[in-house]
Amino acid sequence: MSDAARRKLQFRVLRREFLFRIADLEVLSAHALGDANKLLGQFATLLILISVVFSFGAFGVGDANMPPSAFLVLTLYMEHFLIATTMLVVGIFAVLTWDSTFPDRRDVLVLAPLPVRAWTVFLAKVAATATALSLVVLLLHCGTGLTWPFAFAAKGAGLVGFLRAFAAYWFTMMAAAALVYCGVLAVQGLAAQILPRRLFLRASGFLQMAAFCLFVCVYFLEPPVDGPKMLIAPENHRLLLWIPSYWFLGLFHQLVGSTYPSLVPLARRAWMALALGGLAAFMAYALSYMRTMRQIVEEPDITSATHGVKWLPRFGSAVQTAIGQFCVRTLARSRQHRLILAFYLGIGLAFTVFLLQFLAAMSRLPATAAVNVWREANTPLLAASAVMMALAVVGLRVAFAFPLEPRANWIFRAVGVRRGPEILAATRRVILLLCVSPVWLVSAVVCLRLWPPGQAAAHLAILGLFAILLVDIALWGFRKIPFTCSYLPGKSQVHMVFLGAVGLLWLLAQSVVFEQQALLKRGEIAGVLALLGVAAVAVRLHVKALARSDERDLQFEEEPAPAVLELGLFRDGAVIGSRSSDPPST
Amino acid sequence: MLDLRHVCKRFKRSPAVDDVSFSARAGEITGYLGPNGSGKSTTMKMITGLMETTSGKILFKGESIERDLIAYKQRIGYVPEEPHLYSHLSGLEYLTMVGKLRGLPAKPTIDRIDGLLQLFALHGDRHTAIGAYSKGMRQKILLSAALLHNPDLLILDEPFSGLDVGTGLVLRSLIQELARRGKAVLFSSHELETVERVCSHVVILNRGKIVADDSIEHLRMLMAVPTLEGIFSQLAVEQDTAAISREIADLIHA
Repeated sequence: MSDAARRKLQFRVLRREFLFRIADLEVLSAHALGDANKLLGQFATLLILISVVFSFGAFGVGDANMPPSAFLVLTLYMEHFLIATTMLVVGIFAVLTWDSTFPDRRDVLVLAPLPVRAWTVFLAKVAATATALSLVVLLLHCGTGLTWPFAFAAKGAGLVGFLRAFAAYWFTMMAAAALVYCGVLAVQGLAAQILPRRLFLRASGFLQMAAFCLFVCVYFLEPPVDGPKMLIAPENHRLLLWIPSYWFLGLFHQLVGSTYPSLVPLARRAWMALALGGLAAFMAYALSYMRTMRQIVEEPDITSATHGVKWLPRFGSAVQTAIGQFCVRTLARSRQHRLILAFYLGIGLAFTVFLLQFLAAMSRLPATAAVNVWREANTPLLAASAVMMALAVVGLRVAFAFPLEPRANWIFRAVGVRRGPEILAATRRVILLLCVSPVWLVSAVVCLRLWPPGQAAAHLAILGLFAILLVDIALWGFRKIPFTCSYLPGKSQVHMVFLGAVGLLWLLAQSVVFEQQALLKRGEIAGVLALLGVAAVAVRLHVKALARSDERDLQFEEEPAPAVLELGLFRDGAVIGSRSSDPPST
Repeated sequence: MLDLRHVCKRFKRSPAVDDVSFSARAGEITGYLGPNGSGKSTTMKMITGLMETTSGKILFKGESIERDLIAYKQRIGYVPEEPHLYSHLSGLEYLTMVGKLRGLPAKPTIDRIDGLLQLFALHGDRHTAIGAYSKGMRQKILLSAALLHNPDLLILDEPFSGLDVGTGLVLRSLIQELARRGKAVLFSSHELETVERVCSHVVILNRGKIVADDSIEHLRMLMAVPTLEGIFSQLAVEQDTAAISREIADLIHA
């Protein structure tokens, strides 16, 4: 085989290998063969679902009854919304695949002794990433990318107009996605280039979280387009020049040939950003890639600090303290787990910022000018504290389900940790310490500073009980030591969880409205507290009883749901299929 | 076939390998020994091209390996100390991938993989993910990957790790057979008994420096010690092993 043919084959083999390793397959359960594909399929379904939902809006736009001004506002809004959403989704994709950007230790140690050039590995990595990125954009716009170009095409332009809008649409979305991804690559590459490897590994996790918060906050905080006037207004010019989604709005209009003079400088910025971002990403990434390959072999991966300070609290008995401190240390030192938690906290933070922005807008309304909306219990702040609490608890619970070094769990099996209730109590205390306490304390400071003491105290009591209830619900049937059980991704049903989360948010919104009304009446608030207290105690007792059950040994290997469900039918008082050696019940 | 000339490797000024020179000749099995942290694996990584030398030269068939690293890698087979494998691939998929990356012709490679899997008793598990393999099975996959392309030079870092007695005996005979067929074998192990039986020539490393480079027979005569273990203890073991073991036993009884 010629050298060129061999390199081509190597490139194809490696690209495929890297593409299918976008998700970390090390954490999968031994039963999880093929489940990574199932998980990726669920993400794809979610993107398609979003696209299809958004695509329906385009059908009403071409309605002849719609006034031209409303048509203009709607199309501008949707153009910007779709660009901004693409940038957010790609940003999240970049953050989630952060670790697969560079080769890991295993890649280097497996591939370096083989006759494969570092350049071929690099190109395969870039090609795999570009393929994955294109797939994300393609799935996100599989519906909208077919319907909205019809609406965005100039009226009366015919097939040529549609084709131009179609091409402009896809080019803009791909370009917006490329800029976000190149930005992330450039930052990562630059950090890898200027920092020593150990420091880079430490800083990389924080950069990852910062990037995530940045993408979410920009998405929620950037001003939406509320009409052409907003784009023309001179006071907005400077602001819009700093928001990348508006650059691509300008680019799209330039490509479809529309004539908004205020969008011309924005389009210019988009071209400049694309050129500079692409160049910076390629230079920083290519240089740091070669450097990283060498460093991975020569230097050990991240190590903990060696100050040896015993700063962690006790979590109860010796076993509970061991488990509790293991959890805290794992979370503190594992980038992957910190990221999972940061993902949820970032969404919570974005919601909080969004709600506070809404409250600020409310306070400026003429109708509420006489009242200081900040100085009494209000739904946005109530909702913000509840959402932060819920997402913090859920985020940590999700992080617990992802193992770190699943093969290392033998030590817990070997030492014979069997006491379910004890482990559950330690896990519960870790959630209370790491998530519930900080959110509750921040809420206490804010509420006590802003609201009348009675309202603040009542809300904090409700928030505390809600948190306790939520923690116990999160640990319902949990019989694992956090971070030690292998993971079965297909079981998580990401797309269904997303729909469930939307439903929960709606329920939370309704509860917050109810709470705000109840806070004004002492009798009602006492009732709410009593109800929550009873629910919390009942759930707690049930969760403890489940953990005490003899049959519920600790679980270290996630198992798939049985293909055949047992109906639990009884015949003549005996369980069907019971062992003949079982003693007869008396 | 393989010559190391004054090879040094420094990590932040501290030398891991210091002025190491030795040869591994065709048809010979060279044992490469040393206590933990003596620089064995670092030398192995430099020989396989995983790591660059700080100074000195590594020559393969008289030419520096740096001159055409890819061509050199085509001619070596390497079994690393740690079984780094893609655990989501099955044994068959992994070996097929290695075959493709080495640019081997498809049909004969498939037959060869099939044969190796049969002979290593992995054929029944060839479609199982490597993640579910035992340590010994992983080691067999690494050995198969190292032999797949019929290399001239075999670099084996702890190849017996995790292998059962039967496979260990097969591997021992295999190494001898490959040497008989003209291949150079560089073999690192802590199992001195195996090294003594298999190797014709040993290089002993301590604190990054070579403390012995000779045939086992000659070393026995020179040091008046009957076993390789005795030679190794004199040259590379600096601790009072009996005193340390007594202290450990005292500590756990306290």
